[in-house]
Amino acid sequence: MRAVQIVLCAALGVLVLAFPGLVNAYWLSVAILAIFYAIVTASWALLVGYAGQFSFGHMAFVSLGAYTSGLLVKWFDIPIPLGMLAGVVLCAIVGSGVGFVGLRMRGPYLALFTVAFSEVLRIIFVSEVEITGGSGGLEVAPLFHTRSDAPYYYVGLVLLAGSLAAMVALVSSRWGLFFRAIRENEAAAAAAGVKVVRFRVLAFAIASSFAGLAGGFYGHFLGILTPDIGSVDQMGLVVAMAVIGGAESLPAAVIGALALEALVEALRSYGEWRLVVFGALLLLTIRFARNGLLALAWEQLARVVPVVPAPRKTA
Amino acid sequence: MTDYILIQALNGLVIGIIYAVIAAGLTVIFSILRIVNFAHGEVYMMGGYFAYFAISLLGIPPMAGVVFAMAASFALSVLIERTLLTPLYSPTTERKGDYGILVTFGISIFLRNIALIVFGPYPLRPPSFLTGALILGPLIMTWDRVFDAGAAIAMLVFLLWFMHRTAWGEALNAVSQSRESAAIVGINDQLFYMLAFGLGGALAGGAGALVGPIYSLSPSMGLIPDTQAFAIVILGGMGSVMGSILAGLMIGVSESMFVALFPDPSRSLTYAQAFSLLVLMVVLLVRPTGFFGRIHTALD
Amino acid sequence: MSALLIETHALSMRFGGILAVSELDFAVHAGELVGLIGPNGSGKTTTINMLTGHLVPVQGEIMVRGVRAHGQAASAYATMGVGRTFQITQLFGRMTVLENMLVPGLARPGSKKAGATRAARRHLEFLGLAALENLPAKNLSGGQQKLLELGRALMLEPAILFLDEPFAGVNPFLRDEIIVLVQKLHAEGRTFVIVDHDIEALQRLVHRMVVMARGRKIADGTVEDVRHDQEVLRAYAGF
Repeated sequence: MRAVQIVLCAALGVLVLAFPGLVNAYWLSVAILAIFYAIVTASWALLVGYAGQFSFGHMAFVSLGAYTSGLLVKWFDIPIPLGMLAGVVLCAIVGSGVGFVGLRMRGPYLALFTVAFSEVLRIIFVSEVEITGGSGGLEVAPLFHTRSDAPYYYVGLVLLAGSLAAMVALVSSRWGLFFRAIRENEAAAAAAGVKVVRFRVLAFAIASSFAGLAGGFYGHFLGILTPDIGSVDQMGLVVAMAVIGGAESLPAAVIGALALEALVEALRSYGEWRLVVFGALLLLTIRFARNGLLALAWEQLARVVPVVPAPRKTA
Repeated sequence: MTDYILIQALNGLVIGIIYAVIAAGLTVIFSILRIVNFAHGEVYMMGGYFAYFAISLLGIPPMAGVVFAMAASFALSVLIERTLLTPLYSPTTERKGDYGILVTFGISIFLRNIALIVFGPYPLRPPSFLTGALILGPLIMTWDRVFDAGAAIAMLVFLLWFMHRTAWGEALNAVSQSRESAAIVGINDQLFYMLAFGLGGALAGGAGALVGPIYSLSPSMGLIPDTQAFAIVILGGMGSVMGSILAGLMIGVSESMFVALFPDPSRSLTYAQAFSLLVLMVVLLVRPTGFFGRIHTALD
Repeated sequence: MSALLIETHALSMRFGGILAVSELDFAVHAGELVGLIGPNGSGKTTTINMLTGHLVPVQGEIMVRGVRAHGQAASAYATMGVGRTFQITQLFGRMTVLENMLVPGLARPGSKKAGATRAARRHLEFLGLAALENLPAKNLSGGQQKLLELGRALMLEPAILFLDEPFAGVNPFLRDEIIVLVQKLHAEGRTFVIVDHDIEALQRLVHRMVVMARGRKIADGTVEDVRHDQEVLRAYAGF
């Protein structure tokens, strides 16, 4: 039993590492974008699924991280990793700010507030044409000058693995316990001695930093940024990825992101209809499988295939 | 210059009344179903298209198209409510608040993408209700805007009459005051959830049909009015129709003044969109329960 | 006299125009078992909420073990050793019983996972919930949830414990169980303030009673004194 699991994992690992050699340039770039969405989706799941802070402004932090790095590198000619770091730091600061002013709000009000914040930021990026290039886009220096995108793939993989490891460590630590306690019942968490203000702000700061990191990577990979990356529709895609995978589990959210991004590209010939399909899939998942399709599939699989361990009951 | 500002103020007043209609729909839904409907702007968008196709395909006169759009939006809303919102009333549903946010957000994404395919990304402009313009001294206002204002006022008056002078409206009000007491009196609450969501949708759809000839239609047109409606509803107090009307007028006028007086004209239009968003953020920060609101309808 | 645990001076709370609690002076010493009673709407829960940091009084002073605690967050009160339960049980529903216990255990400064887990299991054993530690809290029965909430408060190793209507909606069997548990904990040296509207339920348990009516303290003394207090009788007769 254990041996089968190890062999499966090893095979998967080899496949992941050898991936750039197995596919054409198009699918390699799809994989890189999927990695980007996986980081964003996992950090949104951390904020919403674990800490219970409903934010629809997560893509705003992606765009903030991306533009910060892109602009700093362009205007001040600093090294790209430093620019990305600056994006992460700024996202942590602005994220704490949003978390702090949002302290008085709960549920739908916080969601509204973050939507408004996100749109305001997008409108600023659209309007300040002299600095950001507006809707026409901002040219961003590429991270690598290679012919193949393989270096991006491996850097992305390292970022994803690192982010995921950090997030998993976080949610299994006492901070993760406090996040969930606040999600479940804020008054009870406070009565239990949990510093609710500190941890709500922290949840925003941490999740926003990961969004900013993913954003920086995204910008320097694509080489061009438009304010659309921070749009509500992009947010919708990430929400769909997280919810369809399962927003209360980090691995499920990641798999949801990878699967949906692959599906987006595989269904490209169906044009815009695939977005409708995702919308429908999202609605069906919310309506009939609150914990995500993955948890549902996993439960079924665990019943049929003895190799698969039974899923944990609580997030 | 003063004429220009006066005309802008007048335009703002007209838009404000239309905002009030959208917001009144949102507040009816909130007070009965206790959800913040993130898909309201998309029903508004659909209303605009319903009117457009009723006029262009079925040959219905433009004014009757508004009524058609309201009826179709009512039907669409009831369909949405019956298929997706019923878990909100079930005692076995966990975390109803989260469900309400996610499902209405999902509906908004779904409708926007459907519209993108079916109606296309390019703006469509339905025919005018009335051609020409009303000229009063230095003031010029297209008859379309005059008609819009009149129709919007008629919708609001109808809503107030319905809520306060009919048995159905009073029953709705009873459900909004307390679900439990309504159940005791023997009101079938399922029927009222349907009615409230349909009514709210009809108002949004009607507003969408009204703005069609002024602004033209696009699949993403619901986004900004949606946040404006939220700002209005929160400013006016969740659940208060009168508050929504007052706040709608305030926002409409102040928004046009913002555009008229913004120092940099090249940016004024894009930042005008940010204006209502900033109002929403400030209102949420300062007074999360609104200024005219009934306290018992405040969410936790 | 033993150490003063909690002390208030002229504590007042106002909601809108309504004065919910007015000029309350109240003190609890270590080792006491105090009943805070009064008819519905007399301001008991508001008082508890102020004394545990869940409400900030509009006026007055709160001293916890001699330290001014006014305006501190509820979590700070918890860390200072003020534990509480709620009128309607407030648990972390989708977390396991053990996790519910670990939240306060690990929120204490300097706590370690192993020690907190040991303490949690000890308390769960005491409450008869040990076999349920891996169940989500929402799957427990109403009575088990009440006990778990008490256990969670115990995890703070509180100097003083406020129980808000622990007998409301509880069957007689469980009520007796709670009374025995409180008596045991009191015998171990814990201090309790128990809020209830029912004098009869409390008089078996507490040594001292504070009576509130319309936001004011109208009596404070032994159970015997309070039972014969004319003002108390009048306040209760009015309801």
